[in-house]
Amino acid sequence: MVFFTVPVTYSQTTGTVRKMQKVPAGIYYPFFSGNNEKVNSFLMDETAVTNAEYLEFVKANPAWRKSQVKRIYADANYLRYWESDLEIGKNNRALLNSPVVYVSWFAAKAYCAWKNKKLPSVAQWEYAASAKPVNLKTGLTEYILAWNAQPNPKMLPNVKSTYKNIYSIYDMHGLIWEWTSDFNSYTGSVDSKGNGQEEFNNFCGAGGANVKNKKDYASFLRYSYRGSLKGNYCIANLGFRCIKNL
Amino acid sequence: MKAIIFTLSIALFLSCKQKKEPAELKPVQTTFTKVNDSSAESIYVLEDTFTNENNSTFVLSQLKGKPTVVAMIFTNCVYACPRITSDMLELQKKLSKDSDKINFLLVSFDTERDTPAALKAYANNMNLDKNWTLLHGSDEAVRTLSVLLNIQFAKDESGNFSHSNIISVLDKNGVLKFQKEGLNVSQEKTFEAIKKEI
Repeated sequence: MVFFTVPVTYSQTTGTVRKMQKVPAGIYYPFFSGNNEKVNSFLMDETAVTNAEYLEFVKANPAWRKSQVKRIYADANYLRYWESDLEIGKNNRALLNSPVVYVSWFAAKAYCAWKNKKLPSVAQWEYAASAKPVNLKTGLTEYILAWNAQPNPKMLPNVKSTYKNIYSIYDMHGLIWEWTSDFNSYTGSVDSKGNGQEEFNNFCGAGGANVKNKKDYASFLRYSYRGSLKGNYCIANLGFRCIKNL
Repeated sequence: MKAIIFTLSIALFLSCKQKKEPAELKPVQTTFTKVNDSSAESIYVLEDTFTNENNSTFVLSQLKGKPTVVAMIFTNCVYACPRITSDMLELQKKLSKDSDKINFLLVSFDTERDTPAALKAYANNMNLDKNWTLLHGSDEAVRTLSVLLNIQFAKDESGNFSHSNIISVLDKNGVLKFQKEGLNVSQEKTFEAIKKEI
């Protein structure tokens, strides 16, 4: 069977090169107990995509400018803090090197395709994000919970402002939430196979019994957060980074 | 419901934990979802190419001109998917003379096993007529379509799929007009939604 995708026309200039780091092969242990998944080695952007980088993308790809983006691809909040199509705004200068947020899944996917990359799957993202920090004083879970407990900063800090993990990848927690390619993976409502198992993977008491680590509120939050998203949602604190399969 | 529980779990958690507003979570679909017309646009913007049950290349925009009733399934599914297909067959039967004015579309999650030949066999088995199209696509095309249709799915270790059971109604231009979630639920509103688009 041969598949092909109608080539999307992207500008040849693909902007600043974001350094990528290798994530070695390993096993992803999903938050819901059950099938552990083998993750092959892949390359991951060492930081989230910044406003400056995203600006290069919209300059080269007019269809993704604020005024031109299709609503089915991005809701009305798309890049809402940007002053105009190609101006992030004087007051936002400090954000140039901070993660771009208020971007939809479609926009994130298009950006990665322009870079000849992809969005990470949930398995890839979670696996990379579970890697040990090298420069944190507390444990990772403790760190994430402390971050979740803080109010939003007035200005989103720059990339590389939190911590680095053993793969030299920055800010997997502590800065923003990030899109994944299969964020809409099924987490359970009506059971398609009729054995009641999916109902169990839910977030009420019964579902809670089946999770990997009942104390891992941080994972709990990420999984429920993903389950509430739609592809064209553009939200504060939600950005992305890209990967390349090897 | 699930989405509401999710939203609540976040809200509860954050309220205990001194909020970090992860998001402005928007109201999510309930069993009956009326899609907001003003923000809706055609899903036929999807450029990915599929293959139909006759092994021909197919792009969604070929469905333009008639309203379309669409669901995502996999043919090895023993419980929910035959149910979805028979719900759609019943809708078709109920439309009687009007049924030629409607496209019925099934897109498979199962990019490995649901080859065009397997889809053809399924169509014969279920007695699906010329108004039906069954599509096989790449992982990426199927995932993107699922996002456009707000359908969640995941593959399990046995190669089967857990997925939301949703029948959607698109207008003649591919704009999502109505969605109905659930099995063994009345298709009355779906029927009305289709009639409205003819």
